[in-house]
Amino acid sequence: MLEAQGIRKAYGGVVALAGVDLTVLPGSVHALLGENGAGKSTLVKVLVGAVTPDAGVLRLGGRELRITNTADAVDNGIAVVSQELSLFPDLDVLSNLFPMREPLRAGLVDRRRMAELARPVLDELGLDVGLEQPVEQLPLDQRQLLEIARALITNPQVLILDEPTSALHARETERLHDVLRTLRKREVAVVYVTHHLEDVLAVCDEVTIMRDGRVAVPSVPARSLTVDRIVQHMLGDKVAAIVEERSHQGDMSFDPSTPALRLENVTVGGELEDVDLTVPCGRIVGLAGVAGAGHRAVLSVASGVLRPDRGRIVLPGGEPLKNNLRGAISQGVAIVSGDRKRYGVMLDKPIWDNVGQVSSVALRRDGMFLRAGRIRERAAEHVKRLGIKTPSVDQEVGMLSGGNQQKVVFAKWLEAAPSVLLLDDPTRGIDVGAKAEIYNLLRELADRGAVQLVSSSDPRELAAVCDEVVVFFNGRVCARLSGRDLDAHTILEVMNTGVPPRDPGPGHGHPVPDGAPGGRS
Amino acid sequence: MSEATAPATTADENAQPPAGRQPQGGGSGLRRFGRTLLAQEYLGVLVATIALVLLIGAFYPRFLQFDQLMSILNSATYIGILACGMAFLLAMRELDLSVGSTYALTALVCAMLVQDGFNSWLSALLAIVAGGLLGLFNALLIQYFGLPSIVATLATLAMYRGLTLALSEGTQVLGPPLEDSFSQVFTGDVAGVPVTGIVLIVVAALLTVVLRSTPFGYRVRAIGSNPDAAAFSGIPVNRVRMQAFILTGVLGGLAGVLTIGYLGAADPNTGTGYELQAIAAAVIGGTSLAGGRATIVGAALGSVLLGVVASGLAYFSVPINWNQFALGAVILGAVSLDSYVRRRRRQATARGPRL
Repeated sequence: MLEAQGIRKAYGGVVALAGVDLTVLPGSVHALLGENGAGKSTLVKVLVGAVTPDAGVLRLGGRELRITNTADAVDNGIAVVSQELSLFPDLDVLSNLFPMREPLRAGLVDRRRMAELARPVLDELGLDVGLEQPVEQLPLDQRQLLEIARALITNPQVLILDEPTSALHARETERLHDVLRTLRKREVAVVYVTHHLEDVLAVCDEVTIMRDGRVAVPSVPARSLTVDRIVQHMLGDKVAAIVEERSHQGDMSFDPSTPALRLENVTVGGELEDVDLTVPCGRIVGLAGVAGAGHRAVLSVASGVLRPDRGRIVLPGGEPLKNNLRGAISQGVAIVSGDRKRYGVMLDKPIWDNVGQVSSVALRRDGMFLRAGRIRERAAEHVKRLGIKTPSVDQEVGMLSGGNQQKVVFAKWLEAAPSVLLLDDPTRGIDVGAKAEIYNLLRELADRGAVQLVSSSDPRELAAVCDEVVVFFNGRVCARLSGRDLDAHTILEVMNTGVPPRDPGPGHGHPVPDGAPGGRS
Repeated sequence: MSEATAPATTADENAQPPAGRQPQGGGSGLRRFGRTLLAQEYLGVLVATIALVLLIGAFYPRFLQFDQLMSILNSATYIGILACGMAFLLAMRELDLSVGSTYALTALVCAMLVQDGFNSWLSALLAIVAGGLLGLFNALLIQYFGLPSIVATLATLAMYRGLTLALSEGTQVLGPPLEDSFSQVFTGDVAGVPVTGIVLIVVAALLTVVLRSTPFGYRVRAIGSNPDAAAFSGIPVNRVRMQAFILTGVLGGLAGVLTIGYLGAADPNTGTGYELQAIAAAVIGGTSLAGGRATIVGAALGSVLLGVVASGLAYFSVPINWNQFALGAVILGAVSLDSYVRRRRRQATARGPRL
């Protein structure tokens, strides 16, 4: 029996876990649920020794555990299969199954012994692969099973599955369920972290739901829950707390002649299936889905990064999108990423240098000679307009807070006067005040006629800023929510189940873009 | 100087500007000039060079004679020009180890064309073009085979040098005769300043403008500062890299041509080890190996500093075989000092208020 008691963890003042208890019985599959940021992954990291808690005790079978790294955890019988695949692609199957713990004979790796140990586990999982096969030749689902095999070879008492289905498709999910039943038979205590709520009801014995670093619902039988109740517990009563939700007008119809960003029958192998999307000028459309559902692939396609296998993308001006990033940007597409440190800003450069990056530097709109003074002046206007808190435009961006850094990202794109804004989790990791300011900015841009596509990990954010939210499931559009259907609860429920709300409501008069080819040019 | 009007940047009146890094707040032209000078990244190498010259001069006053200093400038020209190109590459987190070989190969090309009866000026022009092509070849290797620049140019370092040895059959090839106008120009001087030195000064000035005031210069630094953000801003990273490598090759060609003009012959072994000295000069001058920052003037001054050390050693009659060791020690000292100062400065700013 795995017990965690009073686990606390704070990252520099931000409390990730505020005294969490968890009890997992052997031979049971225990679902650990919660929104992004609820503390699930921190708890998992504590259980596997990747993070040392500030306080709290871990016990396994009544014995207190002191684990300081993942190898410790394995030695103590706790194994994890993580979200990101962590196999070595250029090594073969057998070598991948025994990382750092190869059986030895006379100081050399004993591959015959390895094969003897590996075969039964692979058979148990129904994984039919050659032991000498390089892992990079295996399809994704087999790699996922291989990860599970690797964990099982250590003969764990506790197995943690951290969102294993995100890489699996429906058919293989069945396989995973079989695996879970096998584990139950082996008397393994399984902690199952997932976003697929239907899965939970189908296969789990017990459920713990986390919210804001605390346990909202401790260990209840899965039989006693419904998807609807789970979503309610995940969201809590803070739905409207942060930003007032917009009053959504029900009518989403629009004049088909309005200029709009159109995705027509866009298909990208393995990521998007036949996606039709029309975003008229002045409208903010949200994209929702669980990891790998395709909502973020839409942003990649619309920014020219991902080339569609079929279908086409037409910009509001009527011209087809160029299929590379630079081309798209020159056509007036802006990409605001929540990962600002990687894709957004130059941390070691002053604000003004960042502001000029797209318009003056990448697109050369100021001609062949740049005058720093002029870029500075324009940067100062953006600083004022966006309310960036800084002593001057010469401040290094790395010295600013996250919210102000993100405003610098907005400034550099607004400087290029884009017509289409693609926003990927635009308020990730910034404080509530700055979030609200950015939401207002998005509304203001919409009123001035910009096309905006927002993807977000936070359904409340989508409900707060979007006119319409398109929910993706397995690469397809599964629901278009607007009007009174558009709230955080419905978004979360639909993205986790793939089932559109039964009553479509009045907001679903979505005009089908007539697929007539040969658009205006 | 340029329009040095203090821009209206105070967004928040009661916010206190942090110490340093603040643009001119008015004052007399001289003070403003002084402050601009103090803000330059090459300040360290400038001070070090002057201090070293004065130090050697204190022991050997002959060292301070104008002719002596100008001869140091002349000898620093070749590495200086290579270092200017290297500064661009380092600023975008790239490296070209083949510059020394490019230098030798283009010098040989120039001399061989002259031997074949071409006009010396035309030969020089063609040799410079050849340098550009060698740089382009480097860029293509990096782009199409996905090689890190250090690996690709390590290969071309040997290839270009090998080509030089093979084409010259290992012997010197004579360039234009001394009375040719080309040789006349590049062995000459203007008011005592050697023409080669003037070329270095002009190149450094031109490239400073390119780095600081053209979209290309901004792109180079943006890529070095954050390559992903640069690409996601629409900066054509591959094209910029290609341009930078061509520029480096052209500068290698220019240096090669200058040596033909000045020395009158191409030695197949000339320029061996110049790549490392060029990198050293750029880094001593204040260009960051981590990318994002570069100073062309600093790179040129760095090569002058290396020249001062080399000839200073001769004055102190250090045996010639210790030269390499001393140069290495100087590089190590300069780079560690620079790194130390920067770390201190970073800690100082990090302690400042975070908004």
